[in-house]
Amino acid sequence: MAKRRLLYLIVYTLPFVLIFCTLLIGRYPIPLAKMPEILLHPFVAEKTAVPDVYTTIVWDIRMPRAILAALVGGALAVSGATFQGIFRNPLVNSGMLGVSSGAGFGAALAILLFNRFSPQVYVFALAFGGIAVFLSYLVGRIYNTTPTVMLILGGVVISSIFSAATSYLKYVADPTNQLPAITFWLMGSFASASRHDLVIGLPPMLIGITGMVLIRWRINVLSMGDREAQTLGINANFEKLLAIAFATLSTAGAVCVSGTIGWVGLIIPHVGRMLVGNDNKVLIPISTALGASFLIIVDNIARTITSGEIPIGILTSLVGGPFFIYLLKKTKGGNW
Amino acid sequence: MSSIAIEAKSISFAYGAKPVLSEVSFYVMQGEVFCVVGPNGCGKTTLLDCILGLLKVDQGEVRVDHIPLKNYKPWQLARKIAYVPQIHQRSFPYTIKEIVLMGRAHHTTLFTAPTAEDRAIALEALEMVGLADLAEQPYTQISGGQCQLVMIARALAQQPKIIIMDEPTAHLDFKNELLLLETVVDLVRKNGISVVMATHFPNHAFYYESNGIPTRIALMSDRRFAEVGRPCEVLHEENIRRIYGINSKVLDCQFDQHQRLRQIVPLSIIRESGRDKQ
Repeated sequence: MAKRRLLYLIVYTLPFVLIFCTLLIGRYPIPLAKMPEILLHPFVAEKTAVPDVYTTIVWDIRMPRAILAALVGGALAVSGATFQGIFRNPLVNSGMLGVSSGAGFGAALAILLFNRFSPQVYVFALAFGGIAVFLSYLVGRIYNTTPTVMLILGGVVISSIFSAATSYLKYVADPTNQLPAITFWLMGSFASASRHDLVIGLPPMLIGITGMVLIRWRINVLSMGDREAQTLGINANFEKLLAIAFATLSTAGAVCVSGTIGWVGLIIPHVGRMLVGNDNKVLIPISTALGASFLIIVDNIARTITSGEIPIGILTSLVGGPFFIYLLKKTKGGNW
Repeated sequence: MSSIAIEAKSISFAYGAKPVLSEVSFYVMQGEVFCVVGPNGCGKTTLLDCILGLLKVDQGEVRVDHIPLKNYKPWQLARKIAYVPQIHQRSFPYTIKEIVLMGRAHHTTLFTAPTAEDRAIALEALEMVGLADLAEQPYTQISGGQCQLVMIARALAQQPKIIIMDEPTAHLDFKNELLLLETVVDLVRKNGISVVMATHFPNHAFYYESNGIPTRIALMSDRRFAEVGRPCEVLHEENIRRIYGINSKVLDCQFDQHQRLRQIVPLSIIRESGRDKQ
C-alpha cells in the first residue's frame, strides 16, 4: 500500500517537474539560479534585474509550449482510456470515432480556403472533429440504441471517409505552400505553440478531462457491456453518450492546437494498466498524468535533438513503440 | 409469508414483425425458484429481457414488487432485480473484487465511487460464494465456473430481492454445475431470494424440488407458456413429448431415507411423418 502511495506521488508530480525542466532546456541557456526570479517576475511589483530575454523565453515561449504539451498528452491519454473502457476494446484510441480524421480534414480545408495558416484552422479543426464524431454516433444509432460494435464500425467508416477527403484536398492543394502546411499540420507539432493556442485549447481539454475524471468509476461499469451495465443500475446509453462527449471535447481541443498526434491515446492507458491495474477509478487520473509526462518528454526531444524541429507525431511512435515493448516484457503484459 | 415478487400480465413482444412472446402471464413468489425451460429459440431470453427492463413489452405489463416496471429508474430496478448472464464476455483483467464491487453501482451517483461500506458488502457477497480468497486475482484467469460464481457474487452485492439467471450452467462442467445449483439453493433458503432461471436442463427443477425449495417450472413453447406448475406435476413424458417432440422417461427412486431422486432422461426423437412439431 505504501509502495502504491509512493507510485501515485511520483506519477502525479512528474508532469510538474518535467514542465520545470522544460523551461531550462533549449538552444538559449537559462541559468538555474535565475529561475526563481524569472518565475516570480510577473507576480512581483518591483521588477528585478532579470534580463527581458529570459522572461520572454520562459513565459512566452517555453512555458506555453510545455503546458500545452502536458495538456494535449493528458487529454489524448485520458480519452483513449475512456474509449477503451466504454468500447470494451483495448485496441481503440482517442481518435476512434473519427475526431482526429475529422479535425485533420477541417484543418486542411481551412488551409486551402484561406491559403495559409490562419486562426480559422482551429475553428475548422474543432468543428469538423465534432461533426465526425456526431456522424459516427448517428451511424451507431441506426438500431435506435448504440451497440458498441455499431459505434466502432461507424467510427471506422466516418474516419475513412474523412481521410479520403483529406487526401483529395492534399491532391488539389498548391504544392509550394499549402501542401507542406497541411502535411506538417497532420504530422502534429507544438513548434508554433503560443499563449494564443493555450487560450483556444485549454477550455475544451480541461472540461473534457475534468468530466472524464468525474465519471471515471462509471466507466468500469460501462465496460461490462450495455446489458450488464443497464441491469447494474446505470442508464447505459446516456452515460456512454456523456463519456463520448467528454472524450471528444478533449481530443478535439488537443488536435486543434497540436495536429494529429497518434499513439498516445493507445499506449499510455496500457502503461497505466501495467502500473496500477484496470480499475478506471485509479487508471483515468493516472493515464492523464502519464500522458502529460510522456508528451512533455517527447516534445523536448522533438525540439532539441536536431537543429530543426521533428514533427512530434513521428516521434511519439518512434519513442512510444519501443518503450511499450519494454514495458510489456517487464510487466508480462499486466495479466492480459 | 410469501408475496408476489414478479407479476407479468399477458405480455407480448415482437422483434419487428416477428412475434416472440404472445400474451404470456405468470407470477413469481418471493423466495421461490421459477425455472423456464423450452427449446432453443422459444423466447426464454426475450422473456428475461422483458423482466429486466432491457426490452419494453409491446402489450401487457410487468410488475416488480407490485410496481409497474416502467415506473422504475435503472438504479431503482437494480435494487430489486439482479442479473447473471449466460456467459460474461470478459474484457479487461479487473480483479474479482473490482467486478463484484460493480454490483454496488446503483448506490453511487454519476460522479461518485463506491464507499467503504459498499466494499464491505462486496466482500461479504464474495464470501457467500466462497471466493473471498481470490478477491485480488484478475478475473480473466479463473475458470468459467468460478467466473459464473463471481457473477452471482456481483448480483448478491446488489442486495436484490430477485436474481435472474440466463442458462447459468450452460458452460460449466459437472462439478461446477452442482456448485452453482447448491449456491442457488443456499441463497433461496437463507436469504429468501427469488430466482428466475432459464435453463436447458429440466432436471435442475427436480434438483431444487428434491432439496425442499419451493419450485415451479414453466414449459415454454411457441411464444407462450404451455404449462406452469410444480416440477413433479408438470415434468412428465407427455409434456416433454409436446414441447420438445422427443420420447423420454422420468426415473423416480428413493435413494436414501430423506431424499427422493427424480430425473428425466431423453430417449429418442419422434420422427413420425405429419408430426412436425418443432
